[in-house]
Amino acid sequence: MGTPSTKNKSTTAATLSTWMTVGLALLILVPSMYGFVGKFLEFIHVFKGESDGAFAIAPMLNYTLATLGFMALMIWAIFNGMFHDIEQPKETMLENEERFDNRT
Amino acid sequence: MSEGSSSPDFPQHDEIVNERLVRWYFYMALTFMLISMLGGLLMAAQLIHWNPLNGIEYLSAGRWRMVHTNAIAYGFLANSFLGVLHWVVPRLTLRPVLSNRLSYFIFFAWQFVVLSTAAGIIIGPSFQDQAWVAELSKSLNIAFSLGAQGLEWGETPFWIDPVAQLGLLLLAINFGSPIFQQKGPMYVTLWYFLAAFVWTFLTYGMGNFLPEYAVPGTSAGAIGGLFIHDLVGLFVTPLGWGMMYYFVPIILKRPIWSHGLSLVGFWGLAFFYPLQGIHHFLYTPIPMFLQYGAVISTIAVELVVMTVIINFIGTVWGATDIFKKNIPIRWFYAGMILYFVTCAQCALQVTMTFQKLIHFTDWVVGHAHLVMFGVFSMWIFGVMTYLFPRLLKREWYSNTLCEIHFWASFVGVIIMFLDLMFAGLFQGFYWASLQPWDVSVEVSQPFWVVRIFAGLTMFGGFLCFLYNLFMTMQSAESTETAPDLENKTAINYQVMDH
Amino acid sequence: MFESKAGIFGIAGLGFFAFAFISNALVPIWMYKELPEQTVEEVVNARVLSSFGDLKQRYPEQFDKYFDAVDVDNCAEALRLGRQVYIGEGCWHCHSQFVRPVSNESRRFGPVSETWEYQNALQRPVMFGTRRVGPDLSREGGRRGSDWHAVHFFEPKIVSTDSPMPSYPWFFEGSPDKPNKRGLAMIIYIQWLGSWLDEYPYYEQLEADQEEL
Repeated sequence: MGTPSTKNKSTTAATLSTWMTVGLALLILVPSMYGFVGKFLEFIHVFKGESDGAFAIAPMLNYTLATLGFMALMIWAIFNGMFHDIEQPKETMLENEERFDNRT
Repeated sequence: MSEGSSSPDFPQHDEIVNERLVRWYFYMALTFMLISMLGGLLMAAQLIHWNPLNGIEYLSAGRWRMVHTNAIAYGFLANSFLGVLHWVVPRLTLRPVLSNRLSYFIFFAWQFVVLSTAAGIIIGPSFQDQAWVAELSKSLNIAFSLGAQGLEWGETPFWIDPVAQLGLLLLAINFGSPIFQQKGPMYVTLWYFLAAFVWTFLTYGMGNFLPEYAVPGTSAGAIGGLFIHDLVGLFVTPLGWGMMYYFVPIILKRPIWSHGLSLVGFWGLAFFYPLQGIHHFLYTPIPMFLQYGAVISTIAVELVVMTVIINFIGTVWGATDIFKKNIPIRWFYAGMILYFVTCAQCALQVTMTFQKLIHFTDWVVGHAHLVMFGVFSMWIFGVMTYLFPRLLKREWYSNTLCEIHFWASFVGVIIMFLDLMFAGLFQGFYWASLQPWDVSVEVSQPFWVVRIFAGLTMFGGFLCFLYNLFMTMQSAESTETAPDLENKTAINYQVMDH
Repeated sequence: MFESKAGIFGIAGLGFFAFAFISNALVPIWMYKELPEQTVEEVVNARVLSSFGDLKQRYPEQFDKYFDAVDVDNCAEALRLGRQVYIGEGCWHCHSQFVRPVSNESRRFGPVSETWEYQNALQRPVMFGTRRVGPDLSREGGRRGSDWHAVHFFEPKIVSTDSPMPSYPWFFEGSPDKPNKRGLAMIIYIQWLGSWLDEYPYYEQLEADQEEL
C-alpha cells in the first residue's frame, strides 16, 4: 500500500473508497437482509404455529451453541498469546519465492 | 542475487519440485476437459433435437451427461489441482513431497480411477442384465450397478470407489508430510490444503459408501446432499482458494492484504460449509428443521465469502493496471468476480421462497456452470497460462490466442449463466401455472439454443488454448530463464508503488 | 491451537466435519429408526404384480425368454434391474422422484411425497433427482399403459412430438413390440413408481378404461 504523495490525492481516494464501501455494503446487505429477515419471520411462524415447530429451534440452538463455543475458544486462544505474529507468513512466502526464482 | 540464496539449507527448485509430474497432470486435465466439453455439447444438442448420434447406445446423451460432470470434477479439476499441489506445496514448505515413487503411483492410480469411471458409466449399463449381477444383488440386498451409481457426483462405479479412497489417503500422506514437517507459522494456502486433504477423504467415503450400502431413503437424501455440497465446498473450494492465495501474491509481487482476515475466511468456511448440504433438497421429506438449519448456515457462509473477496480486492488495490497486460491475473480476478456473483446468487436461491420457483429448473444448471467453469476452471486456466511457460521453458506461441481463450471463456460462461438463469425462471413459472408439461419444454427451446452457442464459444476458446499449447511445445526452447519471462509479461508493481 | 497443524487437522478437518455429519446426517437416521428399510420383495404390491402380468400378456415371447413366472421373486428381480437401468442411463438427471408441497405440484402430479415412501431398498441411494427436463415420475405408475412406455422408450417423438428425450432402441430387439430384459424391467420399474399409494386415482382410471374396452 503506497503512501499517498499529496493531500488532494488522498481525499479523492478516501471519497472513492467510502463510496465503494457504501455501494458494496448495500449490494450485499439489502438482498441478504431481505432473505434473512424473511426467513426469520417465517421461522417464528413455524415455531409458534405447528405442533412440531419446537423442533425447528434445534438447528438454531445447535449452530448458536457451536458458534459460541468456537468463539470462546478463539478468544481464549488470543489471550493465550496466539495470533501475535499473524502477518509474518505472507512476507516469508514472498521472500522464499524470490529466492527460488533468483537462483538458476 | 539476494543474500538468502547463499544459505546452504535453502533448496533448489529442481530438487523439490517434480516438474514432469506437474506437466503430466496438466496434460491429463486438459484431455478430460476436452472429453467433458464434448459430453456437454452432446447433451445440449440432444435438448434442441439436434443430436445426430441419438440412438447409439455408447453415445447416449444420458450416459455422457454423467461423463460430462465426472470428467470435470475428477478428471479436470482433480488432475489440475494435483499438478498445482506438486508445484505449490514444495515451494511453500521448502521440502519435497514424501516420496517421488508414491507420487508416480498416485498419478497412475488417479488416471485409472477417472478412466474407469468414464468407461464404467459408458459401457456398464449395457451389461446390467447379466444373471450373476441379479443373483449378487439379490443375495446381498445391495443394488450392484455396473454403470453409474445413483448419487450425483458419486456416479463412480462401485468397484472403483475403494481404489479412489485409497488414492485420496495416499495423496493426503504424500502432501501432508512436507506440510507437517514445516516449522513456524504456516501460510494460509497450506491451511486450506491441509484441511482439504482431510475433508476430501472423509467426503468421498461418506458419499460413496453410506447411501449405497447402509442408509436408504430420506436419510440417504440428507447424506447425498452433504456429499454433493461438500465435494464442491470441502474439496474444490479450499484447494481453489489455497491456489489463489499463492498465485495472486507471487504474480503481483505484493503480499496478501491481510493474512489475519484470510484466516477468518478459512475458519468461517470450515465451520459453516459442511452444515449446508441439505439445502440441495429443500421441500423434500427431510425434516423441515434440518432444511432451515441448512438455509441459515448457507446465508452465513456468504458473509465469510465477503471477507475473502475483500481481502483480494485489498491486495490488488492501486495496481489494477495489471489486468490489461497480465493474463493470469485477469483470469484470477474474473473468476473471483464470478465467485462473488455465484455466492450472491446462492444466498438468494437457497431461501425457501426462491426454491419454490427455481428448484429443478435450468437456473440450478446455470449456477453449477458458473461455479465449476466460471470460477474454478477459470482459475486453473489462469494458473496454466502462468505455469506452462515455466514448465516448458518456452514463451507462449501466441499471446493473442491466450487473450482469445480468456475472452471466449469469460463471455461464454456469462452468456450461459444468464441464459440458463432466465430459462429457469420461465420453466418455474410455467410449471406453477399448471399448463401442460410440453409447454415448459417448448418455451425452453430458444434458451437451449443460446446455451449451445455459449457452450461452443467456451469450447472454441479451449481449442485455441490447446492449439496454442501444442505450438508452444513445438517451438524452440527459450534461452531466457523463468524470472526473465515473467518480467516481460508482468510489471513489478511493488517497485512502482513506492 | 488455531495456528497449529494439529488444530487445523483436528478442529477444522475432523471436528467440524463430524459436527456437520452428526447434526445433518445422523439426526435424520435416528429420527427414522422406527421406519425400517423394506426389501424389494416387500414393496412388490398387487398393482405392480398386475402390471407385471400385463407385460406377460402383451409380450409373451419376450417375457418368457427372460422371466419364469409372474410372481413376487421375478417381479422383484425386474424392479432391481429396472432401477439400475434407470440410474445407468441417467434418467434421474432429467426426471425427479418427489412431489413438493409447493408450486401446485400436488395438483399436477399427485399427493406430496412422504418419508415412508422412500424407506426401501429401491431408494438406496434415494432417487430424488436433481433436474426436471421431463416431468416428475414418482406418481407415474399406472398413468399410462405399458405399451405406451414401450413405444416411448423406443422413440419418444412417436408419442410425445416435441420431447427432447433420447431414444433407447437398445431396450428392444429391433422393434417396440419386442422389449428385451432391460426394456421389460424399465417398464415395470416405471409402473411401480407410486403404485404403493392407496389413494391414487390413476389406477382406478386405468382399470375403468380397460373394463370399457
